[in-house]
Amino acid sequence: MTELNQIDLRSLAAGHKRTWDTFVVAASPLINAVVRRSLNSFRLSEDDVLDAAQDVFVRLCANDFRLLKTYDPARAGLSTWLAVVARSAAVDFARRRRQATSPIDDVPESALAVEDRHVEKLKIPKGLLTERQTLILKFLYDEERDVAEVAEILKIDAQTVRSTHHKALLRLREHFREESP
Amino acid sequence: MSTERTPKSDKELWQSLVFDPSPAPESVSDLDFAAWLEGRLPEARAAEVDAAIAADPALRRSAVELSEILGMPLPAASPRIAVRAQALVGFAVEKQASRGSWLAAVLPSFGGGFSLQRGAMAGLAMVIATVGFVMGGGLGESFATEKYATVQSTTSAPLGVDTSGQLNDLFTDSL
Repeated sequence: MTELNQIDLRSLAAGHKRTWDTFVVAASPLINAVVRRSLNSFRLSEDDVLDAAQDVFVRLCANDFRLLKTYDPARAGLSTWLAVVARSAAVDFARRRRQATSPIDDVPESALAVEDRHVEKLKIPKGLLTERQTLILKFLYDEERDVAEVAEILKIDAQTVRSTHHKALLRLREHFREESP
Repeated sequence: MSTERTPKSDKELWQSLVFDPSPAPESVSDLDFAAWLEGRLPEARAAEVDAAIAADPALRRSAVELSEILGMPLPAASPRIAVRAQALVGFAVEKQASRGSWLAAVLPSFGGGFSLQRGAMAGLAMVIATVGFVMGGGLGESFATEKYATVQSTTSAPLGVDTSGQLNDLFTDSL
């Protein structure tokens, strides 16, 4: 079976039927996996999943393959770009269906917590943390991911995640210790 | 009983904080997001995308899910997905796309160089013209034919002479 990275993109964007057919066979497992995962929290039928996958392919070839022509192999791999496009199409599909329901186990604790409006939160000033430090803290605490998962997402090693987390918390503790009376 | 406050855990500290001002989520293009997922963005752009993802819970969830899917073996898809998707592009589209010229279709694409293809077409046209010219005898024969025709017309058939009358005379003399 042809791999995605073996597809002739010029031929594909030119609308050659044989190349399109080969591309569809190579891309189907990835698009199927992304669509299923994206629609997991929406209680949709198997037919809906197939329709959402079809939506992805429609997006790719619509308007003389306009979306496909925006892909630049120098910037990202075809699989990764296709996964991003598929997720975006699947989320749009689910929004159109408007049946969003999340199994309670899939929702992070922070999203379920009822905020006590009487407790005033301390404000993190702009520039105290770097973008990377903020993102790592969000993945660790808001998304409840472990260090290995965050390292995998950010394509860095686990030790870098630990040290960035450590430095970020030191900054926060120092800043708020200075502020407290 | 101790009245000393126990220090907050890292998570408790984080949850007691809020950004000031709260950053507005920025949109990130599909290609930038894909490059970010692969760790291929330049540092400055990566920081911008980091900020956008940190500010948008939906983007964070996308990053988590896509990272998981791209790092694992994929199960086979239902054949119905491929059958339906393949029907989206027909041979009519292909014909339309290659309507340019029959010669362009015959020639190799040379990896897509448009000027190279045009050059090859011009070269092929030159070869066809040359072969045709050589088969027709080339310049030498053409010149000789022209010269002979000129000589004939000046010696045996001066202007204004009726050659059909001469032929008639020839046949009647022999009788």
